Amino acid sequence: MKYVDCFKYLASRRTDELVITSAGNSGQAWWTTTRDSDKTFYLDASMSLSTLFASGMACALPKQKFWAFMGDGAFCMNPGMLMVERQLKLPNMVHLLVSNRAYGATSNASLPNGMENDYGAIARSFGIERVFVFDNLEDLARDFDKAMGRNVDAYTFVVLEVEPFTDAEQRLEQPPFDGPELKYRFGRTLEQMAGIDIFGYRI
Amino acid sequence: MSDSTNPSKSRDVAIRIADQLGEAGVKLVASLPDNWISELIREIDGDARFRHVPVNREESAIGLCAGAYMGGMGSAALMGASGFMTTIYAMTKINYSYEIPLLMLITLRGALGDHHKHHVSNGLYLKPVMDAISVPYLVIDKPADIPEIGRAYHHSRTYSRPTIVALTRDLLR
Repeated sequence: MKYVDCFKYLASRRTDELVITSAGNSGQAWWTTTRDSDKTFYLDASMSLSTLFASGMACALPKQKFWAFMGDGAFCMNPGMLMVERQLKLPNMVHLLVSNRAYGATSNASLPNGMENDYGAIARSFGIERVFVFDNLEDLARDFDKAMGRNVDAYTFVVLEVEPFTDAEQRLEQPPFDGPELKYRFGRTLEQMAGIDIFGYRI
Repeated sequence: MSDSTNPSKSRDVAIRIADQLGEAGVKLVASLPDNWISELIREIDGDARFRHVPVNREESAIGLCAGAYMGGMGSAALMGASGFMTTIYAMTKINYSYEIPLLMLITLRGALGDHHKHHVSNGLYLKPVMDAISVPYLVIDKPADIPEIGRAYHHSRTYSRPTIVALTRDLLR
């Protein structure tokens, strides 16, 4: 399925989920689709940490729902993250693996063993039970509620098989935020949503 | 040479460090092992004040703790010196770019008293690497200084970047 079309569909089904994107294409696609600057944290090139970053938040805020995107390039750098996520088994956390079979943020450079990696099988081998793999919009729309609908209350791993960005898509705007601005925009929103104190001076 | 231990001392130190973390407001501890901190990890794992998360690699602890901070939860990352040396990119990319506090407790491997030749690289480069990334760090080598851990945690919050506490063999073993 087309990368941006997939994100448009997910955005259309989003209610109050907090979203974490990883560097490059997923950040570009989500920003293009939503222009969200308060309930999305566009994590820069962390090289595999976007879903653990989201997991930390999901630990702290069990009443909030989190969607965390990660490209398969980042995933391949640290697949053992799924051991940690399986161990945490956070019911408010959906790991969305965006599989374009390339290092999308670096001009679609080749991914080792790119077309053969079976991400769903990798997740199941770590003991993750709720694994969904979608390679077309019709199936995603049909099973969205079962996979990651508002009433789902279980850790879920979703593989989205998408086409790599075209040359034109590679030029989509990056989310235009510096780190501290994003921290405060997102954090202040969370403080209001969850009634918590993130930035208060505690000494 | 032997790496002999004093179990009752190690446990007492572990309890005191855990108390400092708890009093500072730490609720999530992500860890990877090092023999010197095995007693501390056991202590934290059995302490109901903490959600202890053993992680698969040290960078994962950086991501998890950064997220916990953004969710308003106090956290700390606990690891050996070698593991710390693998976290430089993650720490500078996440904690420096977004100005996210982090307390890291690491072992001061390769320093005087470390009997293991395979930590020569840490002896040579651990402190220079910390200096190179301008991360504030303090060395704790005696129990009387353990309360500095709480101050280091709060300093990280004030400074909005990581602070490191390096624990010596003399303290831990």
